[in-house]
Amino acid sequence: MSAPALRLSGVKKRFGRSEIIKGVDLTIPMGERHAIIGPNGAGKSTLFNLISARFPVTAGRIELKGEDVTGLRPFEINRKGLSRSFQITNIFPRLTVFENLRCAVLWSLGYKYSFWHRLEGLRDAREKAEQVLEDIGLMRRRDTPAGILSYAEQRALEIGITIAGGADVILLDEPTAGMSRSETDEAVALIRRVSENRTLVMVEHDMSVVFGLADRISVLVYGDIIATGAPGEIRSNATVQEAYLGTSFAHA
Amino acid sequence: MSQVLLHRNRLMVWGGTLAVMALLPVVFSQGFAISLLCQIGIMAIFALSYNMLLGQTGLLSFGHAVYYGLGAFVTLHVLNANLGIPVTLLPLAGGAAGLLAGIVLGWVSTKRAGTTFAMISLGIGEMVAASSLMFPGFFGGEGGVSGNRVTGKGLFGITYGPQIEMYYLIAGWAFVCMIAMFALTQTPLGRMANAVRDNPERAEFVGYNPQWVRYLMLVLSGLFAGIAGGLTALNYEIVTAESLSAHTSGAVLLMAFVGGVGFFYGPVIGAVLITVLQIAVAGLTKAWLFYFGVFFLVMVLYAPGGLASLLVMHKRLWQARMMGWLLPSYLLAAVPGLILFGGTIVMVEMAYALLGGAELGGSEVKVFGFVVDASSGLAWAAAAIVAGLGMLLLKRALREVSYQWNNVHAALTRGMTA
Repeated sequence: MSAPALRLSGVKKRFGRSEIIKGVDLTIPMGERHAIIGPNGAGKSTLFNLISARFPVTAGRIELKGEDVTGLRPFEINRKGLSRSFQITNIFPRLTVFENLRCAVLWSLGYKYSFWHRLEGLRDAREKAEQVLEDIGLMRRRDTPAGILSYAEQRALEIGITIAGGADVILLDEPTAGMSRSETDEAVALIRRVSENRTLVMVEHDMSVVFGLADRISVLVYGDIIATGAPGEIRSNATVQEAYLGTSFAHA
Repeated sequence: MSQVLLHRNRLMVWGGTLAVMALLPVVFSQGFAISLLCQIGIMAIFALSYNMLLGQTGLLSFGHAVYYGLGAFVTLHVLNANLGIPVTLLPLAGGAAGLLAGIVLGWVSTKRAGTTFAMISLGIGEMVAASSLMFPGFFGGEGGVSGNRVTGKGLFGITYGPQIEMYYLIAGWAFVCMIAMFALTQTPLGRMANAVRDNPERAEFVGYNPQWVRYLMLVLSGLFAGIAGGLTALNYEIVTAESLSAHTSGAVLLMAFVGGVGFFYGPVIGAVLITVLQIAVAGLTKAWLFYFGVFFLVMVLYAPGGLASLLVMHKRLWQARMMGWLLPSYLLAAVPGLILFGGTIVMVEMAYALLGGAELGGSEVKVFGFVVDASSGLAWAAAAIVAGLGMLLLKRALREVSYQWNNVHAALTRGMTA
């Protein structure tokens, strides 16, 4: 039995006097597609920021593939195989789409801070970046500065940058936020493709996306996980229904 | 296929650069021209090294002269120590000094980016400049440090005595440094510097420590600034505290910015233009620093991409054969532009005359070959009316220019999507 991809024990986060995450315990096995849902302000994005070390935890412990990563810095956690996307698009706006992706693969290929390799000579970096370019369907926009892409294209690039480095644990923060129905469908297909053979954790508001993609779902309400289980269990869980009373969840 | 073309293009550009550098002193062979070319070559290296920070890594430094000045002082001390190092290689001593200074000082300054970095760079600059007066043993006090670059018969009779030999030494180093700095932009570190400039947080989430990227870029930029300093030391055979001062830091910022920080060669254009203007305008008027300030302001406000970006914009039009659309409106704007320019200059010169900078004694001042009396209200009124008229007309003409630009831009985008 291999170690779980992620294990959170007693994770807490306090901003000033308000406790946003109130002791989360969560274990996500390797290869699972896990969704975190919950009403607005439940702390979903904060939880992501804690796992990816964007914020330090106030208390508790985070293990990545069996290794304690609490207190490490984002780039250190990334190097250990965890990669994340952001709810608000977070790309390199002045670099081209291709350069964005190439930057995202350089570390994982071991080029580090090299100033003795010529980028053009790095076939592996080019091929890998181009592979991702094709996966996310932006081949046509290869040499366009990322800052002038359309919103949906930037969202796709956001996912591309996240997966390009080959991390085996992927965190996606509201990957379909602000998308139209057809754009969402495309994004779901993309997420399904790129999360194969990887562990996926995502925060998502769109219930059809959640129930279509996730193997298991956790419900976060006011900093507590009130339920974790397969989609069917979550749907019929009384506590969850209560928490979501009067929202779109009832109709999902 | 396109790779091969790209390579051939680059080879041609570098070959052309080398040829121009070799031929310039043949075309401009007067003594002052050679001195000017030497100065340009040094400033080109210095400005390019500055742009490794500002343009490539997004670090606005107000203290880059520290690395340049320390490089210059160390080079002269090594020269004076008679260690038997060939003069040709002495700029490397300056480079080593710049590198070492970067390793020590950069550790502090690159902890943060943005405003914090700018403030720390200013502080370090002031600190080093102040210490130059506290340690006269090394910095030579007010008089600076001097040396003699002619150390012997030299290899093949090249003693670096004649200025033209010095020019070729500078040109050779400038060429090597330019290639090295360009090559750096094409490496993983160079690209990640751009990534850190664009979005340090995202760089961190693809495995890079932005602080470390900034630090390495600063250290390497210190190396090249130090080489430029070493060449200055050999060129003038004297270095004073001026070379590490905020004034020098400001000058290199000006060059890089005016030339264009978004393009590799932008700072070279800036170095050429500012160095030539410095000498040409300073010879004409005492108000030259004022004109520099105005020029910098106009560039910041109206052409923040620098001259290089203007060139690139017009190159695209030229290739699309659309320059004809714009030329009439440019000419239309040039006339009131010159009127405004003339009126302003007369006023500035009169102001300087009144403030005691008069050349001819009293309040009379010579502008454009005419003698004007700065104490006369009529002269002021006339100049103000001319400048005001120029400004009014220029405003209208610029409306036409921007209208034509929009036309051209629309046509170009149509052409791209078609």
